[in-house]
Amino acid sequence: MGKTMIEKIIERASGKKVKVGDRVWCNIDWSTARDFGGANCVLQFEEVTEKKGKVWDPEKVAFTFDLQAPAHAEKVAQNQKTIRDFAKKQGISKVFDVNWGVGQHVLLENGLVKPGDVILGTDSHMNLLGAVGSFATGVGNTDIVASWFKGTNWFRVPETMKISATGTFKKGVCMRDFLTLLVGTLGADGMFFRSVEFYGETIENSTLADRITLCSMVTEMSGKVGLILPNGDVLDWLRARAGNEVDERVKAIAADPDAVYCQELSFDVNDLEPLASCPDAPDNVKKVREVAGNNIDQVHIGSCSNGRFEDIAAAFDVLKAANFQVSPTVRTIITPATRETMKRCAEAGMIQKFLEAGVIFTNPTCSLCTAEHYGVLPSGDVGVSTTNRNFIGKVGKGSHTYLMSPMSAMASAVRGVITDPRDILC
Amino acid sequence: MEQTILRGRAWVFGDDVDTDLIYHNKYLAETDPKKMPQFSFEYYPGKENFAKEVKEGDFVVAGRNFGCGSSREHAVYCLKFSGIPVVLAESFSRIYYRNAINNGYPVLFVNGLSEAIKAKAINDGDELEVNLAAGEIKNVTNGKTFHGDAVADLEKDIMAAGGLIEYLKEQAAKSA
Amino acid sequence: MGKTFAEKVLGKAAGYEVKANDVVTVEPHFCMSHDNAAPIAKTFKKIGVKNVWKPGALVFILDHAVPAPSDEHAVNHKEIREFVKEQGIPNFYDVMSNGGVCHQVMCEEGFALPGLIMVGSDSHTCTYGAYGAFSTGIGRSEMAAAWATGKIWFKVPESLKITVTGKFKKGVTAKDLILKIIGDIKADGADYMSVEFHGQGITDMTVAERMTLCNMGIEMGAKNAVCPPDKKVLDAIKGKAKSDKWEAIWADDDAVYVKELSYDLGDLVPCVAKPHTVDNYAAIDAVKGTEIHQAFLGSCTNARIEDLRAAADLLKGHKVAVRTIVIPASWTVYRQAMKEGLLDTFLDAGCVIANPGCGPCMGNHEGILAPGEACISTANRNFKGRMGNKESFIYLASPLTVAASALTGKISDPREVL
Repeated sequence: MGKTMIEKIIERASGKKVKVGDRVWCNIDWSTARDFGGANCVLQFEEVTEKKGKVWDPEKVAFTFDLQAPAHAEKVAQNQKTIRDFAKKQGISKVFDVNWGVGQHVLLENGLVKPGDVILGTDSHMNLLGAVGSFATGVGNTDIVASWFKGTNWFRVPETMKISATGTFKKGVCMRDFLTLLVGTLGADGMFFRSVEFYGETIENSTLADRITLCSMVTEMSGKVGLILPNGDVLDWLRARAGNEVDERVKAIAADPDAVYCQELSFDVNDLEPLASCPDAPDNVKKVREVAGNNIDQVHIGSCSNGRFEDIAAAFDVLKAANFQVSPTVRTIITPATRETMKRCAEAGMIQKFLEAGVIFTNPTCSLCTAEHYGVLPSGDVGVSTTNRNFIGKVGKGSHTYLMSPMSAMASAVRGVITDPRDILC
Repeated sequence: MEQTILRGRAWVFGDDVDTDLIYHNKYLAETDPKKMPQFSFEYYPGKENFAKEVKEGDFVVAGRNFGCGSSREHAVYCLKFSGIPVVLAESFSRIYYRNAINNGYPVLFVNGLSEAIKAKAINDGDELEVNLAAGEIKNVTNGKTFHGDAVADLEKDIMAAGGLIEYLKEQAAKSA
Repeated sequence: MGKTFAEKVLGKAAGYEVKANDVVTVEPHFCMSHDNAAPIAKTFKKIGVKNVWKPGALVFILDHAVPAPSDEHAVNHKEIREFVKEQGIPNFYDVMSNGGVCHQVMCEEGFALPGLIMVGSDSHTCTYGAYGAFSTGIGRSEMAAAWATGKIWFKVPESLKITVTGKFKKGVTAKDLILKIIGDIKADGADYMSVEFHGQGITDMTVAERMTLCNMGIEMGAKNAVCPPDKKVLDAIKGKAKSDKWEAIWADDDAVYVKELSYDLGDLVPCVAKPHTVDNYAAIDAVKGTEIHQAFLGSCTNARIEDLRAAADLLKGHKVAVRTIVIPASWTVYRQAMKEGLLDTFLDAGCVIANPGCGPCMGNHEGILAPGEACISTANRNFKGRMGNKESFIYLASPLTVAASALTGKISDPREVL
């Protein structure tokens, strides 16, 4: 009987033959923490080892600062300092400080992520690294601390779902809309504890940015990880960053043709329309058309889900079609995922145009994914965002958020009300 | 595990209770687990007073996918240190589940709880009896009973040790 | 006997001749408020007047915490939006790309004008003296009263004349001059006074440099600080004056001053204000080598295009050794810096470029310090706890000194890098 991708990855990492439901101890390739949760890890590690512990391998521990970078409060500043001091003491050189951007993206851009890697991080969207075939997962501080002892941790071998997509997106429609369709179809626990493999021409022809978007939202369906086997341009990009080893890794983790899946779903995206996750849950999905005209107060484009160059460029195209003017009644905020993204946006001349249009551009960070950073909404305000969660009050008590694609978000910024991007693009 | 029967009041929540509702991202910079209970459920509509009114021994009862969202362990600590002896839910999101087990904090998958909550078969303030070892729950207020899932061996061992760190310490001592 | 700037401008506004120490009641031309417009609006409502006296005289610019970093800030901003709508206030700069630090926006947008009486609910309102305005910071209650009545009383200040001659040596800037002056006369050396800057040294300065000087007038206790409204100022306001009431007013040559000081720019060296007071002057040699953990290039004092150019010039082709936060003073500055490729230089050097606003200057967000950390900053205050933790340390310096220090992680002399 064949193996799925996650089974192959776990077998490599555990050195054991495994089957669904087994609990196994795996070797960890990267055990990372952010400015959020990182200090909790450090303090816990120091407490349980009485400040005498050494992490198992300083070359496999990394810290990223993204949640509230630069620090917005004393406590955050102290937490960041706690991490810097610990890294120095332990000889951990991979500290991506407040000037880098969103953690997973920074690790990826720095060539630290390979297909088949097992990666832990204090970020529930760590698993977006499944976009390059690595098994990354968000965990709490105890899991990180445990892994620092010997570089291992336990996992349950999950069932695997197979999702195939065929067809080409029409103008104004993109991977984010497909993803929103999935969330709406499967629900908030539709991928419960499972690994998911994505296949089909729509996926195989997609950009890395699109794959990241897709895999980042597996968490919102309570999945463990969404995996895509790198191919084409994505594989070339990855090889250039992470080295030639990625080719053999890709071969090693490819699912067998007779692998067993617990569920198989197929979608055709040809007739897909722009979709929105309406207040107050990601799985409260409607067509953008159905909610078009609803008043909004703020639009935010960014986050680990949709903050890459291609995402911002897609928003730019909508703005261009609207003669570079956003509605004066709406605050529009763009946050690039990383410094590299910001530089590319600047080089492409996009930032200038955004600013001329009335949009503001922040430094790379998680930004509005926390109610302690750029663009918290006051009670009663309604936001549109390309982030991944719209639970009630998430970005400000009493506020509500629609989640959409960068194109739909920018179309809404242009008109000042929720707008189908095809009304501007087509 | 000894056959203790826990008794307490129910605090009832719905499906998909996310980590921002349990412990809002506003308070993420907190690093002392014992200070986390004061923020529990502050953003949950109708349960804003939970932190003030919760009593040691009360139960948190929820529907499907409890703890979905963030990886923050704060969402486990805030309940653990509120004196909630066990969280009962139809199901838990995976990171929440791991975080609970890793802290030796009991969370029980209870069949039918989501529907029971919707059908008002279990309500805020109901008196519950919970036999953790047997996975049996009785709503003393109306006599209805529920059954929890068995826990897998590894998780049982980690729980018995008191959490993942303690478990690893035990393992290391054994192999030494 | 001649008159000082303050006597002339307040006399004109009062409609009769005044001299120092007279008390006058005048109508301000513009009243500026930032994020604190919300609490002022609450006080205003308690007065019992329904409408502000002149909506067009009020200017609101959100800058202290933008975009809102917390529930409290978000609600505060919303209250301002509602008040703006209710009162029909036309000059409102929300969280949009036409805003920035309030004082910078006031100058760029043509509110700061020669001879105007301008008040702001922010102590650094004295910045507009660079444009020849009589501008001063007032408290929130007084601002609420001004909105209601259109009146504000002043004791006509006595004046301090500072004559500046000579030329800066390489690596020395207007910031070094003002830190030296404050170090000499101390934080209360110009209490209640109007500080007038005179001399060829001022004439030679850009308006941006004069803004740095006037901005820090409050740090020596001044009521206002002002430079001559010369051709450079008139050119700067050409075509964008937001009022036609302005007039280039300057002190008479035979005006009477309580104190006169003179400085030769050629005598100055790069310097810092050490923790925890602005008058704690130290020449660069005395502090060189002090370890820092953060560098901040921003604030209403020193984040204009000229400041960014100077810093970028030092950083180009190098990497910063400590976290370095660059916050242009306004979106106009940001866009200009982008056009000139300066932002690229900062990104390549490893800096964080945050959106225009006050940033970490008064500890709101975007770079708060942890206990034991030291920051070198182009801002105007280094009080204990100003940028966050009370156990942290702030050194004030010029953009050049900040950039040089960012490169080494230690307080460094820009002349050695240049």
